[in-house]
Amino acid sequence: MNHVTSETFDENARAALADSQLRGALRKVTSLFGQRRLAAARSLDNWEDLRSQARAIKDDVLLHLDSYLEQFVANAESRGAQFHWAQDAAEANAIICELASKRGARMIVKSKSMTTEETHLNKALEAADIQVVETDLGEYIIQLAEETPSHIIAPAIHKTKYQIAELFTQELGMPPTDDIAKLTSTARFTLRDRFAAADIGISGVNFGIAETGTILIVENEGNIRLTTSLPRVHIAVMGIEKVIPRFADADIFLKLLPRSGTGQRLTTYQSFITGTKTSPESEGPEELHVVMLDNGRSRMLAHPVTRQSLACIRCGACLNVCPVYQQIGGHAYGSVYPGPIGAVITPQLMGLEKTQQLPYASSLCGACREVCPVKIDIPRLLLHLRSEITENGSHAKKRASERAAFKLWRITMTKPWLYKLSARVGRIFQGALVRNGKIGKVKGIGRVATPLTAWTSNRDLRPIERQSFREVWHASLRKN
Amino acid sequence: MQTATNSGAREAILKSIRSHLALSRNLDAREEEIKPRTEMVLGLVSTALTEATSIVDLFKTSLEAVDGRCLIVHDDSELLHAITEIMRNLRQTKLSSLRVAVSDSSEVRRLVGLIELDLDEVAVTPSAADVFNFDIGISGAQAGIAETGTLLLDSSRERHRLVSLVPPVHIAILDAAKIVATLGEALSLMRKGEQVSPIVTLVTGPSRTADIELTLAIGVHGPQELYVVIRS
Repeated sequence: MNHVTSETFDENARAALADSQLRGALRKVTSLFGQRRLAAARSLDNWEDLRSQARAIKDDVLLHLDSYLEQFVANAESRGAQFHWAQDAAEANAIICELASKRGARMIVKSKSMTTEETHLNKALEAADIQVVETDLGEYIIQLAEETPSHIIAPAIHKTKYQIAELFTQELGMPPTDDIAKLTSTARFTLRDRFAAADIGISGVNFGIAETGTILIVENEGNIRLTTSLPRVHIAVMGIEKVIPRFADADIFLKLLPRSGTGQRLTTYQSFITGTKTSPESEGPEELHVVMLDNGRSRMLAHPVTRQSLACIRCGACLNVCPVYQQIGGHAYGSVYPGPIGAVITPQLMGLEKTQQLPYASSLCGACREVCPVKIDIPRLLLHLRSEITENGSHAKKRASERAAFKLWRITMTKPWLYKLSARVGRIFQGALVRNGKIGKVKGIGRVATPLTAWTSNRDLRPIERQSFREVWHASLRKN
Repeated sequence: MQTATNSGAREAILKSIRSHLALSRNLDAREEEIKPRTEMVLGLVSTALTEATSIVDLFKTSLEAVDGRCLIVHDDSELLHAITEIMRNLRQTKLSSLRVAVSDSSEVRRLVGLIELDLDEVAVTPSAADVFNFDIGISGAQAGIAETGTLLLDSSRERHRLVSLVPPVHIAILDAAKIVATLGEALSLMRKGEQVSPIVTLVTGPSRTADIELTLAIGVHGPQELYVVIRS
């Protein structure tokens, strides 16, 4: 499988549009999760209040991120957690590889973590000759298939049960079946051996509670509980933006996150982990290491518009309602973060140079903003990034003609006499450009090269009518 | 055990946070969206609670909605009868043996000791290496949440972390008096005093996944069946 990148978004999207199996799966996941989210939100009569409160908490955290982080770290350290700070992906991976090799770890079990997907931790561990096994069912499937997640909540949604059965037959020697229960139990039994043998468990973090130094992780399968309780060492990888101030704040986020993600009232398991065990005979890991990852996050604090990207709680609701994601799925975005939130986070994490097309992968319809449990104004962010590309990107020079065109447009539109004149002139000269009732498109031989191609290649431009509305109006007045 | 380079990274990140926040300060002044933090409404009651007749019934309804089983008993003998029936049925259907792992709760151990059924093995908090060999885990629970059918397991008060997780069947014994209405109330229970226990787990129904074609499969990594026996 080719690992596509964000640089080739347009090509990726075209390939996805031609994949009917993928589009069928996308219809299913986005409509099901979308409906469930709506029903779950309606089951609470204070949904809008919850959203506002969650956003207010996140704004408060982000405006004082340094002090909340220090509070979180101090409280967790006082309970036995050890902290490691990573400015970028390479530092995070190096820290984890060193922790692993110092403990002679040969096998690591891992629960689903977007942050470690972002840093490509698995590749780094494998390069250090350490076996790493994904244990979330969807992540396990795509690890076996050597692919990448296509949806934040359902990573393997692009694969059919037949493809998964074939994969399990090949990789695990399982007899062929199309029974999903059997596939699931095969994964259960295969992974149990890995859990039992693992030296280290690696997890992500949903929320870090500053007041108590608690790590909160949510899930449905139980693999996070196994990952964080069986191996001797637990390493949690956490983006620096994941802090919330107070223990009681978890109430609000635990109401919003599962309802927005899968439409559940509560996911099956929430693990609240505060430091290490207090006595040798109690259950659980002896060591808890928390890796705090920046990797471009602190940069987003520099502007109120970009800062709100850090409020994201990774629920995936914006993917499900996005008309673009619904058609092309997650892989086309070429990043661990797909959909509307990916279109704004990926360019900020990886730099606009390599991700120029992503902020344009939106019709700006605003559905993402409507469903976001923390009210991130994604359309505004997209426009902000688009203007950054136009002002500073390598395309800035090429856009000089665009700028000139819009300037001309503005002058024309604000002077009635000029508008009338140009409509008349346009009517005379447009004949050379009109094909099939549209400007700039010709069937069979592609597009007519016009100065307007940049505009018309993705949009229909109607020719100027023979008579303007004013002319029709005046003519009808004369008749009567 | 922080290395020199690591504390350097810590300072660099905190410095980067502060300097970028400083850059935004002028812009923030103009943002109307930044509002002062509103006070939270705690103890939010969902619509389900007002419709239910009792908190125990609401717990049962909520748990059954997520494929958990719930039995309500009134004394020790009913409780033993209920657990015995659960085990007997399991032995006849999905389990080929009855190896039972129990938590270290003295009450749970006392009750399991009274079960008149031929159990293949009973062990108190087996080790991580052994716990995979057991068919049923039995534990207590420190609280229940009625609006979601959730068990609160506090591992500093009972060693039930693995017993409640690894065996394919988990049976939990919950006192009706420990059931609270909402998640918010349960969270404030977890925070009596300044300290939070090292591990607190909320459990709502059996383990589940929909990762293959969005088809629900029960019992992927955690228990495939969850029974909550409420003693009222």
